[in-house]
Amino acid sequence: MLQKVYDYIDERLDITPLWRDLADHEVPEHVNPAYHFSAFVYCFGGLTFFTIVIQILSGMFLTMYYVPDINNAWDSVYYLQNQVAYGQIVRGMHHWGASITIVMVFLHTLRVFFTGAYKKPRELNWIVGVLLFFVILGLGFTGYLLPWDMKALFATKVGLQIAESFPFIGDWIKLLLQGSDIVGAQTLARFFAIHVFFLPALLMGLMAAHFLMIRRQGISGPL
Amino acid sequence: MSNKEHDVTRRQFLNYTLMGVGGFMAAGLLTPMVRFAIDPLLREEKGGKMVDVMAVKDITTEPQRKTFSIDKVDGWHKFKEQKIAYIFKKDNGEIMALSPVCTHLGCTVSWNDDPAHPNQFHCPCHGGRYTKDGINIPGTPPPAPLSVYEMKVKDGRLYLGAEKPRGGA
Amino acid sequence: MHRGKGMKFVGDSRVPDKAKFVPPKDYSEYPGKTEVFLPNFLLKEWMVGAVFLIGFLILTMSDAAPLEKEADPTSSGYIPLPDWYFLFLYQLLKYPYASGHFKLIGTVIIPGLAALALLLAPWLDRGFERRPVKRPIATGIMLLTVVSIVYLTWEATVSHNWALSEEQGKIVKQVEVDKSSKGYQLYSQNCAGCHGNNLDGGVGPALIGQNLPEAVVESMATKGGGNMPPGVFKGSEEDLKTLAKFVSEVSKK
Repeated sequence: MLQKVYDYIDERLDITPLWRDLADHEVPEHVNPAYHFSAFVYCFGGLTFFTIVIQILSGMFLTMYYVPDINNAWDSVYYLQNQVAYGQIVRGMHHWGASITIVMVFLHTLRVFFTGAYKKPRELNWIVGVLLFFVILGLGFTGYLLPWDMKALFATKVGLQIAESFPFIGDWIKLLLQGSDIVGAQTLARFFAIHVFFLPALLMGLMAAHFLMIRRQGISGPL
Repeated sequence: MSNKEHDVTRRQFLNYTLMGVGGFMAAGLLTPMVRFAIDPLLREEKGGKMVDVMAVKDITTEPQRKTFSIDKVDGWHKFKEQKIAYIFKKDNGEIMALSPVCTHLGCTVSWNDDPAHPNQFHCPCHGGRYTKDGINIPGTPPPAPLSVYEMKVKDGRLYLGAEKPRGGA
Repeated sequence: MHRGKGMKFVGDSRVPDKAKFVPPKDYSEYPGKTEVFLPNFLLKEWMVGAVFLIGFLILTMSDAAPLEKEADPTSSGYIPLPDWYFLFLYQLLKYPYASGHFKLIGTVIIPGLAALALLLAPWLDRGFERRPVKRPIATGIMLLTVVSIVYLTWEATVSHNWALSEEQGKIVKQVEVDKSSKGYQLYSQNCAGCHGNNLDGGVGPALIGQNLPEAVVESMATKGGGNMPPGVFKGSEEDLKTLAKFVSEVSKK
């Protein structure tokens, strides 16, 4: 039955070459932990992707309860964590997952750096990777405010103050992020928009470019 | 028809037109959205009213922490913003009202809470310190003195207004 | 796969008229023990992923994500702490050469240069040598950066007063306080700086729910105790009684 459905679609759209290209590509021995245990360092990139999938999924589900409004944000987080079944786990996935994503990105960056994998011809993919790193830090910064608890508010105030010290355009950056002259209702709404729509869109675009380039260039050879 | 005078080919012309129309569509879509996003940058600031805080006769030479609230509009959110002021009389009898917002990174300083440095304002974040007059002590992180509130005295009451930064020193 | 002229498409699409199944290549042609991505290698990756996920789920179940009390912009004395991966930056701003007049160095110049250097690494380190020992400058700079980030994070961690910040962030039940009463006015002048405008804590602990007898309040306010210095209360004996009565009542709510 499944085979027939597949054949029906394949006859019309010729989808076989699309996935066979991915499925059949050869994975060299030096990145395979089954042959060299030290090759586990090559897993960090894949694990980063895995944690990002966890972040996107758990984040999507969190917005079913979360309200980006200063009067309700904290209460909605308190409710989803303490009253909703498995709330602790889903929020925990997003909270701890954020930290682990940062750790994995950091380790992956170090692996690429120390194996010299960013050298010609892979310079462009390194650039995209570093931009991904910055986007992920941005996601961490904007996500920290959303529960609207004490540490969220005051850490964000300090963070925005740092942005303000930027020469010439600091005031604008701060005001643009803050949306108001205080960290308040408009800041929370803005951070929510940035955290949930703008940065993830950027993240997905950059990730697509990252993976396409890896597929195009293959994995760098052994040292 | 010579190609030297008309060296734009049909294909080039169509490509330029394509870019032009594409640019128009991008601009048409983005202009309202960008203006929408940067609205906070272009808003005029409204001056606040002065608020009655305390009786002048109660002001001592020791800084007193006073909270007062001003009406604040943050977009759709209207509320009373709580402000804190440290109010005292200087040695020459002049009244001073300091804002406890640290000029380093915006934490809140408190008066005389650090046993190692009595009679100073002290910031818990990065250890910034200020003298009683709110002057930042050299060698600590803050780059400028504490802001002072605009004030006026009317009928024996002290009224406070907006914070005025005092610039780097 | 044949390309270019001679290809027949379905209508005006790019889908070839007769798509032939392309058999996978014979892996013995490749040197070394390479293996095909699907399913062989992906299975190994997913096994690593599964082990990782077990550890991760145990973490989420054993440790709840922290949530402090609702943000109160008027709270003074709260010591802000960024998420741990920004701690090194936060710590950097405490040093004299990265604060005060040199604030710009700590907030913009050092992080900016580091970010730019990272972004442009392929052009700063242009040799063809890939092994870390053969390019000591790049390796050295990166190691130094990692060590300083770890050191700064560590410094920030040990210099932070964790017990105090836990106290400050604790979720305290909100209580109606009569702010027009004489007792609250005295409280606001003498105690609110540390114990918060709503008696919900600040530098000092929250008073709500502490169930304090009046005598204890009186003695703490005058003689101090614990972390509280003596002589905080300044005023008459009568005011002290009013204050103690007020605080004691609220603390029992």
